Amino acid sequence: MKKTAIALFSAFFLMAGVASAADTVKIGVMGPMTGQWASEGQGMKDVISIMADDLNAAGGVAGKKIEVVVEDDAGDPRTASLAAQKLSTKGVVAVIGTYGSSITEATQNIYDEAGIIQIGTGSTANNLTEKGLKLFFRTAPRNDEQSNVAAKAITAAGYKNIAILHDNTSFAKTLADESKAIIEKAGVKVVFFDALTPGERDYSAILTKIKSVNPDAIFYTGYYPEAGLLLRQKMEMNLKVPVIGSDATNNPDLIKIAGAPAAEGFSFVSAPVPQDLATPEAKDFTAKFSKKYGKAPASIYAVLAGDAFKAICEAIKATNSTDPKKLADFMHTQLKNLKGISGDISFDAKGDRVGSVYKVYKVDAKGAFVMQP
Amino acid sequence: MEFFFQQVTNGLAVGSIYAIVALGYTMVYGVLRLINFAHGDLFTIGAYLGLTLLAATTITDKVGGVLGLLILCIMVMGLVALAGTLLERMAYRPLRESPRLSAVVSALGASIFFQNAVMLIYGTQFRVYPHDILPRTVISIAGVDIPVMRLIILAISLCMMAALYFFIQKTKIGTAIRATAIDQGAAKLMGINVDRVIAIVFMTGPALGGAAGLMVGLYYGQISFTMGWVYGLKAFTAAIIGGIGNIPGAMIGGLILGLVEALGSAYISIAWKDAIAFGVLILILVFRPTGLMGERVAEKL
Repeated sequence: MKKTAIALFSAFFLMAGVASAADTVKIGVMGPMTGQWASEGQGMKDVISIMADDLNAAGGVAGKKIEVVVEDDAGDPRTASLAAQKLSTKGVVAVIGTYGSSITEATQNIYDEAGIIQIGTGSTANNLTEKGLKLFFRTAPRNDEQSNVAAKAITAAGYKNIAILHDNTSFAKTLADESKAIIEKAGVKVVFFDALTPGERDYSAILTKIKSVNPDAIFYTGYYPEAGLLLRQKMEMNLKVPVIGSDATNNPDLIKIAGAPAAEGFSFVSAPVPQDLATPEAKDFTAKFSKKYGKAPASIYAVLAGDAFKAICEAIKATNSTDPKKLADFMHTQLKNLKGISGDISFDAKGDRVGSVYKVYKVDAKGAFVMQP
Repeated sequence: MEFFFQQVTNGLAVGSIYAIVALGYTMVYGVLRLINFAHGDLFTIGAYLGLTLLAATTITDKVGGVLGLLILCIMVMGLVALAGTLLERMAYRPLRESPRLSAVVSALGASIFFQNAVMLIYGTQFRVYPHDILPRTVISIAGVDIPVMRLIILAISLCMMAALYFFIQKTKIGTAIRATAIDQGAAKLMGINVDRVIAIVFMTGPALGGAAGLMVGLYYGQISFTMGWVYGLKAFTAAIIGGIGNIPGAMIGGLILGLVEALGSAYISIAWKDAIAFGVLILILVFRPTGLMGERVAEKL
């Protein structure tokens, strides 16, 4: 009796295993589901789940259903490398994610060695695609492009003395260094250049120091939680100097932390969110997302995760294969101008996204992000 | 000179929060010779409870701002004191006769437990206190801008320290606490209920930590489930600078640490701020191994 039960049991599991291997394609999503950037990771999950449901309802890709496997990297490089090892053993074809360059960097080699395609979604540091990894792509634009747009915005506004503040993460530091070089060439003086410690509450010592060098504007290259506190404390110190942020400040939580009066006038450089775009793909997606979650997608990186999902599914469909090498070849050479949510998607030989997507945003009196023409 | 005084006020504001949190570390250490690593997380719990109670009771709308906040503060202190008592019962009392290392491990475990509990209950996102509860007045004296709230926070911390000092030095329970700190066995022989004394210590310290969490939430607005780690570490450092086990020492240590951080980031480098603060800690310990006020640790409490 016992033996039959065991036999039946194992037969059931074997069959289940075979069945799932046969008719699904597994796609991994690695993102900060917990930790300080949790809203980004949750957003990624929401966006991809909508797109996967849609695709599966339409019959999946290449005759197979998509199965999304989510893994939490907590926005921390060590956790991320564990998450990457876990995903590598789960039979995924490709992994989408993650947010944060240093976190992505910790996982790149793991996926490459496991022969899994990785598409970064919020990792903009230049060096990620300079390593010659054939299976690494990203839908997020590069830092050097962002530096150019930010520097252009700063010089166009006519600022002569700039304070640059970063937070020592690889993303923020590179962006700060590059922007400094570009704006100094354009004749703007950098009167302050230093880093704050993320995760603290009180930045008044830094703001006092910035106040003492009397800049025309502050360029903060770090993330939104600290930017929100900086804006709030800046108002309390009667420091009336405009602040420009990086794309990592593009999150509505910034307004919650700073409060609308303190955030008013804050501008930042970012890829546009879909509700600001006029393309049918963007409109269609915004409508679907709002219907399911009752609000527009908050973060551009979650949307870029959706575009990564679109790109990999397109590659599977076109090649009718799940061989990572074939898929990567296709994405490098033949995937051209795929209509994504954030715009057209093409990749160059390094795996970087082709074309510029950055826009300048400004916060209005109500605390809404308004795209500048 | 303006710049210097502005940085001094910045430093004192940050330091006064470190100081209140440090009082909790120092009390527990003074009596039990135990570093309560979960203290930073009790601080976090205070911040979250404050927000929950604020939203649930809308007390500041009902009875007016200042009185409402006072009631809120008392509720938070009471609840965090309860958490502290439970912590002592579950994590420390069973290990009181064990080697000291067991209690340290238990403290670390309790810290992780509290942090995860807050994360699971409230989620991983930042929580934000309403912006309009506190007056945002800023007074300018000779070019130095001081938000009134900072003065209030400093005043509250000084009051709390004074009250605690009075409680320990002048009351009967305080005498019992001091006696227990010197020698638990002898205190027991003198008819002191050591268990009760320790329970009181684990109510007072966490209550102060919870109040500090509430103040941070109200003043800075943004709270997260990991916030206790940074504040806990800084407050622990402050307690050591002042001489762990010594109440005025914790206060002075907190203020010194805040000042060193502010002046270090003003005149040397912001990125090196923490390195400078811990450098000062090492220097102090080299010249005064027991901390600034830490002679005769036990008796001084």
